[in-house]
Amino acid sequence: MIICTNCQHKNVAGAMFCAECGAQLDGVDTLITQAITDEQIAEELRKEPTRPEPASTPVNSWISLHLMDSGKILPLASRNEFTLGRLSEGQPIMPDIDLTPYQAYASGVSRLHAVVKRDANRVMVMDLGSSNGTYLNGRRINPHVEESLSHGDIVALGKLKIQVLLRNI
Amino acid sequence: MLPKQDYYALLGVGRNASQEEIKRAYFEAAQKLHPDKNTAAGETELFLGVQQAYEVLSNPKRRTQYDATLPPEEKLKLPYEHKILYSRPNLVHLDESQMLYFILSLEAPAEARASPSPPLNVSLVLDRSTSMQGEKMDVVKATAIQVLRNLRSQDILSVVTFSDRAEVIIPASYHQEKARLEAKIQMIQPSGATEIYQGLEAGAKEVIRSIDSNRINHIILLTDGHTYGDEQQCLALASKLAERGIGISGMGIGQEWNDIFLDVLSTRTGGSSAYIAHPQDIKSLLLAKFDALAKTYAEDITLDTKFIENVELTYAFRLQPDSSPIALGENTLHLGTILQDNPTQIIFEYIIHPKAVKSEALTIMDGTLKVAIASQVMPVPPLRLRLTRPVSETPEMDPPPPQIVQALSRLMLYRMQERARKEAEKGNIETATRQLQTLASNLLTQGERSLAQTILLEVEHMQMENSLTIEGSKKIKYGTRSLINAPSKKELIQ
Repeated sequence: MIICTNCQHKNVAGAMFCAECGAQLDGVDTLITQAITDEQIAEELRKEPTRPEPASTPVNSWISLHLMDSGKILPLASRNEFTLGRLSEGQPIMPDIDLTPYQAYASGVSRLHAVVKRDANRVMVMDLGSSNGTYLNGRRINPHVEESLSHGDIVALGKLKIQVLLRNI
Repeated sequence: MLPKQDYYALLGVGRNASQEEIKRAYFEAAQKLHPDKNTAAGETELFLGVQQAYEVLSNPKRRTQYDATLPPEEKLKLPYEHKILYSRPNLVHLDESQMLYFILSLEAPAEARASPSPPLNVSLVLDRSTSMQGEKMDVVKATAIQVLRNLRSQDILSVVTFSDRAEVIIPASYHQEKARLEAKIQMIQPSGATEIYQGLEAGAKEVIRSIDSNRINHIILLTDGHTYGDEQQCLALASKLAERGIGISGMGIGQEWNDIFLDVLSTRTGGSSAYIAHPQDIKSLLLAKFDALAKTYAEDITLDTKFIENVELTYAFRLQPDSSPIALGENTLHLGTILQDNPTQIIFEYIIHPKAVKSEALTIMDGTLKVAIASQVMPVPPLRLRLTRPVSETPEMDPPPPQIVQALSRLMLYRMQERARKEAEKGNIETATRQLQTLASNLLTQGERSLAQTILLEVEHMQMENSLTIEGSKKIKYGTRSLINAPSKKELIQ
């Protein structure tokens, strides 16, 4: 018997797609968010950022995500809210920002991990009940509670470290 | 090539056939080929060969002597290629049921692409009930005329119309005076009700009149309505036609026709049904159907399977060339045709109950595959398909073949639609709603926006009316079905 991780439907052993919701079942282990211990995360966070802070960000974005391990910067604009996570084949869950290309799976990022949003006077991050938690400057934040962000803050989704670059400091 | 006289092939039985099977095969062949009955050239010679084969094989001593002269069976060259791809390499000792998939691919040899296409023997059975009035009838007539003009000198065509009775507009024959026949098609006038059996029976008679194993014998049924009360008669006739190797393709125009019935009718013969949403599409779809018929390499593929206890064939679906469910429930499965330039692929789903998994290996299918190749005079030797999987203690962790994952990810969408429709018919609107919404979000992730939109509209309607619309359910069914052999939109973007 295989229990679908998406809808908990019980499928016959050897089935490859959930009969109820159509999610892919094969290689079930790759679909479960990888478990990471708190020590591993703490150790990751103790390390100094290896790359220099980028000099400038495109002007039209209100927030840019600096992926510290790859050095890549993702400027975000046009909307006031973005969900972060990782797309997985056959799952009807679609984060706004798919972090798969940045080792999201190996870093323990959940499919729907966290959300960044802004209102008139501040920018916030909120954990969406992820498996490995969200950390703000090394402190684990409570799920479903908004936390204010400042320019240069380091947010970690599991082990994936992201530096927040805000347009108006 | 076959050895000149393969007695087993002549009778269409395997090397391991019992005396009983040989006897039955002989009677069947003799009835078909007897000089009093046969029509095509060369069949009398075939009949003599069959008689000779029976004389040898029915005598155990002569059979043993004959067997010794035969080349080993594995070396027997079949005029087509077959491949099996399993979803996993082995079964597992489990105290619960387990599932196994495999894809059977059948392909014509490369040289077949260059070979001339076989002559056709096709009957076009056209609905001329009152509801066809207007654009539908006009396009149907224009298309029938186009078909007639495209006909090659070796093809046989008949045209039958039906409402509550049938009329043979053009009897089955070679056609020289096309202009006169065109006028006859032009004069078709719509009136009356839809009784499919009337048309089907008349069309069948025309095809049977010039039935010939060297031709592609086929009926194309075009309708826009429901038939009432004669469904069982139609299905019984379809089964008879299937036995004689005559295929049926069903084409439904617009919204009113009964897609479930047309599916059952055509799949009994290994054919498929198609949905024509707009009258202007009639022409391209019908001409494409004729093209496909003219490219047929082998037809009437049948698979006879033996019953294996606690091993259950739960689903079979032809992925290509024309995606269609395969009718289950009888021992003989009609799998369709092999085209000259496109492999045929059928996916099978088996559920294996724990009682069956006892020894080191389990046979999940024991069957005989038969095909008819119109361009060959000699019958094709049947292929024994005995599919066995080893049984191990722990499951294999290798990922399943991408081809199977790809096929199932598409088929899964079609099957979600099937389930939702069944739930809606049973009145379980809540379940159907949830299933359709999940289907829509799955389609969105695969980049199929317009189909997902159709489904969401349908869900809205269902919330108010507590049922699906006949139009919407057809759009969803044939929409998800057409995805099965279409390239993925997501892949196209990448």
